[in-house]
Amino acid sequence: MTLFLRTVEGLSRLLGYIAALLLVIAITVVCHMVFNRFVMNLPTSWQTEFVTYTLLASTFLGAPWVLLTRGHVNVELIPMMLGPRGRFMLALLAYAVSALLCITLTWASAGFWYEAWEAGWSSDTMWGPKLWKAYLAMPIGFFAISLQYIADLICLLNGREHPFGLEPNTPPETT
Amino acid sequence: MDPLLLGALASVCLVLLLLSGMPVAFALGVTAVLFLLLHNGPATFSIVADTLFASLDEFALLSIPMFLVMGSAIAASRAGSDLYEAIDRWLYKVPGGLLISNIGACGVFAALTGSSPATCAAIGKMGIPEMRKRGYPAGLATGAIAAGGTLGILIPPSITMIVYGIATETSIGRLFMAGLLPGLMLIGLFIGWSLIYARIKGYTFVEEDKHFSLRDKLVILPKVIPFMMIIALVLWALYGGVATPSEASGVGAMVCILLVMAIYRVWRPRQLWQIISSATRESVMLMMIIGMAGLFSYMMSSLYITQGIAEFIAAQQLSPWALILLLNLFLLVAGFFLPPVAVILMTAPTLVPIVLQAGYDPIWFGVMLTLNMEIGLITPPVGLNLYVINGIVPDVDLKTVLIGALPFMLCMLVGIALLIAFPQIALWLPNHLMGSAL
Repeated sequence: MTLFLRTVEGLSRLLGYIAALLLVIAITVVCHMVFNRFVMNLPTSWQTEFVTYTLLASTFLGAPWVLLTRGHVNVELIPMMLGPRGRFMLALLAYAVSALLCITLTWASAGFWYEAWEAGWSSDTMWGPKLWKAYLAMPIGFFAISLQYIADLICLLNGREHPFGLEPNTPPETT
Repeated sequence: MDPLLLGALASVCLVLLLLSGMPVAFALGVTAVLFLLLHNGPATFSIVADTLFASLDEFALLSIPMFLVMGSAIAASRAGSDLYEAIDRWLYKVPGGLLISNIGACGVFAALTGSSPATCAAIGKMGIPEMRKRGYPAGLATGAIAAGGTLGILIPPSITMIVYGIATETSIGRLFMAGLLPGLMLIGLFIGWSLIYARIKGYTFVEEDKHFSLRDKLVILPKVIPFMMIIALVLWALYGGVATPSEASGVGAMVCILLVMAIYRVWRPRQLWQIISSATRESVMLMMIIGMAGLFSYMMSSLYITQGIAEFIAAQQLSPWALILLLNLFLLVAGFFLPPVAVILMTAPTLVPIVLQAGYDPIWFGVMLTLNMEIGLITPPVGLNLYVINGIVPDVDLKTVLIGALPFMLCMLVGIALLIAFPQIALWLPNHLMGSAL
């Protein structure tokens, strides 16, 4: 079990590094594009599309890491009002529903990717890259978020982590 | 089923999921997938992935992480505190000067980051302890910064304006420019209230022990001016139509990183990772919401809910004034519970056609929507800025901050009223500089 949890955490972190790296690549390519266009007077060709896909990949691949580090913004109104027992039950429900969505999206995006790969779809631009390359980040990302949610559920059930990552002594909000 | 009833069901489902404490992005996603499944059956699955990808397949979105990188580069270095110091050195002689310079610093920092919590955190960390040391009451000091921080999403560049521009297909450059005068107006209202409050309570805030020579004032400028120049250049490139928001902000991000490396010697891998990772985290979070909200609004329109609501409102024959009042009320309440980006993405595609039909300007509406979102940032239960302040000064309880921020919230309401009465406050600058939109 610990091995599973460690592997998932490692995978999420690795994908987080990749997401950050992709962002750095996007910055560099945009600067390259601006330089080409304004200094060298060359038309832009592949850069616009490339950086758009880079940002998409960064988003989907980074999502499990952001989940691990509790960066996805949520409304904590009700969890803060509940006692420990209620908070635990609500977290169980919220995690399970989210996990279900991520598993559904893994399946849906894997099918979508396979369709693009098999039919050899390519983008209808001058550059015209094969679209399966762009779509690939989606199933990988959602697969990893699903794993991260399962890991979170395990940690919640065996008490390694507090529901919603809230400290147990967070006072119920009175406002 | 009747689109309105279906819409009501979808809203209830979304609200329940949001209240469960699951991430906003996933609550939007679950609602969208669930209702599409009920409506279309298994065919939904291929649509879902396609729509999700398509709603993020947009070059202009790149400007969001780029502005985030600019902001986090400035926030991770000492640039924030130098900026604060510079404004203080120039304004310390003005009566109530420290408060004014703090609100002013919020305005300037808002122009550097485009994010409200970032502005609030950067200025608050230096400003609040300094003000309290000089005898300003905790409520006033924290309230002013909480409110001043909200300027982050109004004064250009602004992340929420980018999102609004993309969601409603309005010009981001025009939106940015439309936010400038209302931003200055709010700064004016905030400062006005602070001075009145100081006068009523009999605070004098004379700072006799403080003295800065002209040399002191000049010596700090070289550290601050480069960042101001970048922002000015980025905005100039945007307004001049020289470059798209993504290009301008991409170059801005690169230059900001190089500047903090050169001026503040931020070059250790750990420090650079901090800049990039915090921007990545924020970007992933926002982009996930944007993607899932795209799925949500696809569901809303393919089930004819969006059109149903628009027809319903049109059938009510509301006067334009009543309509605007109603929309403001709705946005205000939505802003109490949800982060600005989520509110904009969920409501703008439905509301903007209604607003257009009533003869209002979409740019003006975007500014008004932003003002409503600013109020949501300093009101419970999810006022992000309140929690940022609470994190900076844990010894001041949330209630004190809230009461301190209340008058500033009223200033914002006055701002909204002025904007409704005089739409030119928002529209004059973009129309004057970029020509009329219509």
